[in-house]
Amino acid sequence: MRLFPGSFTRRKQELDEELQAHLQMAAQDRQHLGESPEEARRATLREFGNVGLIKDVTRESWGWIHFERVFQDLKYALRQLVRSPGFAITVIATLALGLGATVAMFTVVDRVLLRPLPYEHPSQLVEIREAGKRGIVENGVPYLDLAQWRSQTHTLGETAFYISQRGKGHLSFLEGSAGAIQVGAPAISANLLPALGVSPVMGRGFAIDPTTGAAQSEDAHSILLSDPIWRGFFGADPAILGKTIQLSGNSWQVIGVMPRGFSFPETLAVPLVWTPVVLGDKDTRRIYNVSPTYSVIGRLKLDVRLADAQAELNVIQPQVARQYTDPYERDQVSSVHLQRYSDSLVDGSVKKSLFALFGASGVLWLIACVNVTGLLFARAAVRQREIAVRGALGASRLRILQQLLIEGLLLSATASILGFALAIVTLKLFEHTLTSQFHIATSMMPSLPVIAVLLALTLLSATLSSLWPALGSARASIEPALRQGGPQRGSGGVHYRIRALLVVAEVAMSLTLLVGCGLLLRTLYALHHVPLGFRTDHVLVANMTIPAYKFAGQDMTTTLYQPLLERVQHLPGVESAALMTEVPLGKTFQMIFSLRTEGNSTAEIRKRELRAQFRAVGPEMQQVFGFRMAYGRFFNQHDTPSSQPVAVVNRAFVRAYFGDDRDPREIFGESLFSFSKDKRALIVGVLDDARQVSIAEQAQPEIEVDIPQITPDAGFYKGAEGMAMDLAVRTGRSPSTIIPELRELMRRASPELVTANFTTMEQVVEDSYGSQQLAAHLLEIFGAAALLLCVSGIYGLLAYLVSQRTRELGLRIALGARRADIMSLILRQAAWMLLVGSSAGLGLAWLSSRLFQTFLYSVPVHDPWTMAAVTAILLVGGLSAASLPARRAANVDPMQALRAE
Amino acid sequence: MKTPAKYKNRIELVQGTLDMLVLQTLQWGPAHGYGIVQALRTHSGDILQVETGSLYPALHRLERQGWVTSEWKQTESKQRARFYRITAAGKKQLASDLSRWQQIVAAIGSVMQRKPEGGKA
Repeated sequence: MRLFPGSFTRRKQELDEELQAHLQMAAQDRQHLGESPEEARRATLREFGNVGLIKDVTRESWGWIHFERVFQDLKYALRQLVRSPGFAITVIATLALGLGATVAMFTVVDRVLLRPLPYEHPSQLVEIREAGKRGIVENGVPYLDLAQWRSQTHTLGETAFYISQRGKGHLSFLEGSAGAIQVGAPAISANLLPALGVSPVMGRGFAIDPTTGAAQSEDAHSILLSDPIWRGFFGADPAILGKTIQLSGNSWQVIGVMPRGFSFPETLAVPLVWTPVVLGDKDTRRIYNVSPTYSVIGRLKLDVRLADAQAELNVIQPQVARQYTDPYERDQVSSVHLQRYSDSLVDGSVKKSLFALFGASGVLWLIACVNVTGLLFARAAVRQREIAVRGALGASRLRILQQLLIEGLLLSATASILGFALAIVTLKLFEHTLTSQFHIATSMMPSLPVIAVLLALTLLSATLSSLWPALGSARASIEPALRQGGPQRGSGGVHYRIRALLVVAEVAMSLTLLVGCGLLLRTLYALHHVPLGFRTDHVLVANMTIPAYKFAGQDMTTTLYQPLLERVQHLPGVESAALMTEVPLGKTFQMIFSLRTEGNSTAEIRKRELRAQFRAVGPEMQQVFGFRMAYGRFFNQHDTPSSQPVAVVNRAFVRAYFGDDRDPREIFGESLFSFSKDKRALIVGVLDDARQVSIAEQAQPEIEVDIPQITPDAGFYKGAEGMAMDLAVRTGRSPSTIIPELRELMRRASPELVTANFTTMEQVVEDSYGSQQLAAHLLEIFGAAALLLCVSGIYGLLAYLVSQRTRELGLRIALGARRADIMSLILRQAAWMLLVGSSAGLGLAWLSSRLFQTFLYSVPVHDPWTMAAVTAILLVGGLSAASLPARRAANVDPMQALRAE
Repeated sequence: MKTPAKYKNRIELVQGTLDMLVLQTLQWGPAHGYGIVQALRTHSGDILQVETGSLYPALHRLERQGWVTSEWKQTESKQRARFYRITAAGKKQLASDLSRWQQIVAAIGSVMQRKPEGGKA
C-alpha cells in the first residue's frame, strides 16, 4: 500500500477532476438537447447526487480513509493537548518517570541476565564442578577426574576444559612495537571451540588430541587471536597467520583469528587471546597445588535434560573419588554439581536482586499509569460536553473511543521519548556501580530488545491509562450532558468512586516501594557505621599488573618495588606510601593460604580447613592505613632478607587455627610455612580484625608477609610479587594532580605499569557496599517518585471533589456548618483513602520485602520500625496534600457559590 | 426534463452485478465514467440506472484489484477525462462473473417457472 502524502493529495485532485469532467460532459449533453446552461448545470448536479459524499465513499475504496481519520484524530489530539499544557505536561512527566525507570532497569536485566551468548545452542552448555563436604570446589578439577567423565558419559557430547584466569592480576602483556597492552590469555583445550560450536574465521583452531580433547604438542606454542586484538592491535593484518607474537615474554605463533563478537570466558572484560592446554606430566597425578586444575564445560546431547546428566555424573563420581587416597580429600569431591553455563555467569543473589529492582521499577510504572488514569478521568469529566457535542454531530462511539485512545497514545509516545532520555541519563549516572557490580564489559546503552520493550510499554501504558476513561466517555449518553448547563453531576459520583479506588491502589503500591527503600536505607546506614578497622581517607590506590617476564632472573623486591616506593615517598605532598598485593576490600586479586597437614584429629582437620587471605605487604602499610595491632608487632625496617623471616596474622586466623579457647599470644613463635629451605617464618604479631574482604562480612583469616623479606627463592615469590601489586599512597593532594606524577614514576620503573588503574580508598569502600548502595539509591529514586505521584494523586482527586461540590459546600456553610466541619469532611475523604491504601500496602510490603532479603544487612526483613516510619511519612504527606483543597473548601464563600448557579 | 414516471421505471441494480456490468461495458472499448453510465443506460433500453455514488467507488475498487487500468485522455469534444480499460485479469474475472450470473439466473428461473403442485396439505 502506498502511503506517500504527496501521491495521496495528487489522487485526491485527480478524483476531483474526474468527477468534474463527468459533470461537464453530462451538462454539455443536456445543452445539446436544448436546455439552457444554467438549467443543465442544476439538473446534472441533482442527478449526480452529493459530490462530497461520493468523493468520501470513493476514497474509502482506496483503503486509506482509516489513515486519514487517524491523522485527523492525531491533529485534533495535538490541538487539545496544546490547549491544556498543564495537563499534558503532568501526564507526560508522570508517564516518562515510570517508563524511564522501567526501561533503565530492563536495560540492566537485558545486559546481565538475557545477554545472548555468542555460541551455538548456548542452552545446551553446562558447567561441571566437583562438590563435597566443604561445598562446591571453586578451583576446578584435575585432568584425571574430567578424563573419567569424558570416557564414561553418555549424556554429554563434547566435554572441554580451560584454565580461566579471573581478575586483573592474572592478565598477560601482549607486546608490540608501540608498547604492551594487557590482555586476557585463557588456556583452552583444543576441543573447546568445537564444543562451543564456533570456529575461527581465519586460519584454524588447535589440533585436537582425539583421546584427551587437549591440544596436540606441536601446537604448544600456537595462539588464537580475538577479533578486537586482530583489528585493534594488529591493524587487521591480512597476513597475520604464521606470524610470531610476544606474550609476556614468550613467543607464540598465530594460527587463527576468531569471529567478531566471540569471547570466552564471558566474564573477562579485557581483549582476549587464547593459548592451548597441552597435557603434561603433572596432569597424570592428583597433587594438591601441583596438578593443574581446569574449569569444565560440556554440551548436553540432544534431548538430554540437565537433571539426567547430573544423575549420570553422580553415578560416575564415586569411582573418581575412590582414586583419591586421602580420605579428607576424597570427601571434598564426593559429588558433581552441574549448572547451565549461562547461569554460572550470574550469581544467584545478583539475579534475585536484579529481578527485585526490576519489579520495583515496574511498580513505579504501574503507579504512573494509575495516576494518569485518574488524571484522564478528571479530564473526561471536564470534556463531557465537548464529547457530547461531537456525538450529537454524528461521530460514532467507536470514532470517539478511537480519538480518545489516540490522545492517550500521543501522550504516552511523547512520554516514552522523554523516558528513554531519562533512562539513558540514569544509566550514565549509575554506570560505574552497575559495571563494577554486575561485571558487564559492554557499555550500558539500550539495545534493540530494550527498544522493543519500550514500544510495548508505550502501547501498554496508553491502553492501560486511557482505555477505561475513554470507554466511560464514549458510552456516556449524549442528551443529559448537552442539556445540563453546569458541570456534570450525573456520572461525577461514579468517576469519583473509581478515582478514589485508583488513589487507594497508588497508596498501596507506593507504600510497598517505600518500605523497600526504607529497609535499604537502614542497611546502608548500618554498613556505613561498621567499624572498618583501618582509615580510608586521603588514600589513593593504584592497581598494577606486574610484567614479571621483564624481570626474569632479577629480584623484583630490590630492582622494581623498593626503588619505585622510594621515589613515590619522595614525591611532594606524599605523607606515606606502601605496597601490598591487594588493599583491604580490594577485589582485583587474591591469594589463598592453606596448610598442608596430614592426620585426621579434630585439630588437624581444623588446620586443614583453614583458608586464609595471603597478602604480601610493606612495613609502611601501618602508616598508610593506621590500623592497630592486637598483640605483638607489625613489620619494621629491621626485617630484612637476611634477618629471621616473620609473618603476622589476624585474630580470625588465630581463631581458625587454635579454636576459640586459647590465648592468641600462644601463636607467637608458631612456624606455619617457610620462605625457602631452612627459612621458616615465625609469627610475630596479631592484627585486630578488620573488614578486609567485604564490609558486610566478618573478618576472614589473614596472614601477611613482609615484602622486603621476599626473595626469588621464596616459594610464593611469583604469586606475591609477579602478578599484581597495589600501591597505596596517603596524601593531602587532590588525586587529579598527583596521579599523572605517580603514573610517570611507574612508567620509569617499567613502561607496562602505565596501564595501572587508579582509584581512591573511599571509592574501594563505596564499591564494596556494592549492590546495597546501588539498590538503595535506585529505590530512593523510585520511592520518592512513587510518593510524589501518590501525593499528587490525592491532591488532584480532592481538588476535583471540592470544585464539583462548591455549591453544596456553600449551601452547608450558609446553613450554619462550621469551617472546621467542612475541613474535616474533606480530610476524612483523604484519611479513608490513605488508611485503606496503607493497610493494603503494608500487606503487600510484608509479602514482597522478602525479595530484598539478599540486600539487607543487620535489618530484619519485616522491620516494624521501618514499616511504621514509612507509613507515617506517607500519611503525613497525603494529609498535607489533602489540607490544601480542604482549606479551599472551608473558605468557600456561600454567597458566591450559590450565585454561581 | 424527465418525467417522474420515466424515473420510476428504472431498476436499482442487483447487489454485486455492478462490477460485472462495468467490466462488460469496457469489453466494448475504453470509456470514462460518464460514458459507462450512458452506455449502460442505452444498452439496457433506459432501464438500468447506475448511481454515480456507486460507480466511482466501483471503478476505483476495480482498479485496485487490477481488473481495469486508467489513463487521462481527451474526448472527441476535447474534454480531458479519465478513461478506463479492461485488463487481461479483468476479462478473466468478467468470464467468471458471467458464468456465475448465468447460474443464478437459471436457478432463479427454474424456481419461478415451476408449476404449483397439487395444493392439498
